[in-house]
Amino acid sequence: MKLRPSAAWLLAVTILAAAIVLARPGASYSHQDRAEPLAAASTLHPAGTDALGRDRLTRVAAALLLSLVGATAAAAVTTLAAAGVGTLAAFAPASIGWPAMLLCDVFLALPWMFLLLMVRSALPLTTSPANSAAITFLVLAALGWPACARAVYRGALSLKRSAWMLHAHAAGLRGRQIVRYVLPNLIPLLLPQFLICVPTFVIAEANLGALGLGIGEPLPSWGGMLLELDNSAMLLQTRWVYFPVALLIAVLLLLEAVAVEA
Amino acid sequence: MIHETLLRVSLTAGYSTRRVLHEIRFELQRGEVLGLVGTSGAGKSTLVLSLLGLLPWRGGRVRGEVELNGRNLLALSERNLRRLRGREVALIPQSPMSALNSAITLERHFDEAWKAHETPGRGALASRLQQLLAEVQLPCNAEFLRRRPSQISVGQAQRVLIALALLHQPALIIADEPTSALDPVTQTQIVNLLRRLNRRHGVTLLYISHDLVSVLQLCDRLAVLSEGAIVESLPVDELSEARHEATLALLGALPVPAETLLAFRDRSTRDAIDLSGAANYQRQ
Repeated sequence: MKLRPSAAWLLAVTILAAAIVLARPGASYSHQDRAEPLAAASTLHPAGTDALGRDRLTRVAAALLLSLVGATAAAAVTTLAAAGVGTLAAFAPASIGWPAMLLCDVFLALPWMFLLLMVRSALPLTTSPANSAAITFLVLAALGWPACARAVYRGALSLKRSAWMLHAHAAGLRGRQIVRYVLPNLIPLLLPQFLICVPTFVIAEANLGALGLGIGEPLPSWGGMLLELDNSAMLLQTRWVYFPVALLIAVLLLLEAVAVEA
Repeated sequence: MIHETLLRVSLTAGYSTRRVLHEIRFELQRGEVLGLVGTSGAGKSTLVLSLLGLLPWRGGRVRGEVELNGRNLLALSERNLRRLRGREVALIPQSPMSALNSAITLERHFDEAWKAHETPGRGALASRLQQLLAEVQLPCNAEFLRRRPSQISVGQAQRVLIALALLHQPALIIADEPTSALDPVTQTQIVNLLRRLNRRHGVTLLYISHDLVSVLQLCDRLAVLSEGAIVESLPVDELSEARHEATLALLGALPVPAETLLAFRDRSTRDAIDLSGAANYQRQ
């Protein structure tokens, strides 16, 4: 059985379900039902409420969509940056290619967790939740491109040294024709990079959020909901606190299955 | 036949760390097929790149002269050299499958190769293609041209590459071991095709190979490349005069004596001419 198409379908269904949950009348991820904090499942709150009495199902749906949109956008930025740097380094003369790859190595060698803490602590406390989300994914994109660029660079180098490239030169193709010749060959190089980046960024955002460095409240995020789990008293009250982490793992599995080359 | 020198080569080439070709010298007459034979590692691929002015692109250096029609290619700028590649000198590469760009259709290959030297115009290319594909015995229909390299056989791929080389009717075609990746039957077909192109259309061919059998079938003259130098050069019909040990080693490695192969060549040429009429008849 082919895993990839089924995983893609399941993922699409999950996204659609999350969208329906968010779009249903009266859905609000920030409305607090003060009478019912940490409630179990009911008709009003199908997955219960959190410590502030907010509907857990709505929050999970919003976190899912937010993290997928953010991770996809960040993956796109990373892949584009990597494509630019990687192909430039491979095809440009060594005087340009070598410093470009050195820059990648320097980026990879930086102590990222420390830098992240610095960047986030430098931001004013009044940063709006929407801005904090944008900054989180921007930081992830900035963090992800060098590893990606190295992979693209290696692939582009083998394209440059390929027999068909030699033949294209021997046939007297012009510079811009060579570029047109190469472009369709970059897609099989870039697509896996993009697909691998998405789950990586989803989990990175969850980890950052769990450290309090991610998306700010009241915007829901995986990381914010994972924070609930460090309170053992809460764990005993309702099993529904495990729902976000279970769904997160399921979504990550689906994303990984899609990223695996068919 | 009037002997007119088309190509005069005298060069030394190598990479930063080692010299691969020492004082290579040979000439090629218009309409001639010269077989350049050598064992693996003798410098054949370096020579091909040098002749096309592509060695710097692979990190190598070349000194000397490659005179095509009286013009030294190595003294030309990259810009002018590009204009010659594909139009006056073309390459038939070694491994047909990897020499085609797997991401684009055969039609795009012809399209781009055409645009490299001609003003884009559908009509001119279409009529040239019709003629070319018939020449190399490939189907000339839209369905075939829409295929990607992975959807055709190795033999067809090599015919496509030969058609690409012939596209601009170059004065010289360099064939770099064009049969080494092919099975024996396809090998024979490709060698016959190259011979027909030479005999009928006077295509000048530099045929580089380590396969002496195909060289004897195809070439007028033979040059032996050994350890980066041409050690012996003589007409194929005078192979018995060969003296150099590299040549003798190559001849010694033949499965049957060279005379037998040459006799077979003469006979099969006659048969091919006799049979081509019959084959055409059967196809109808």
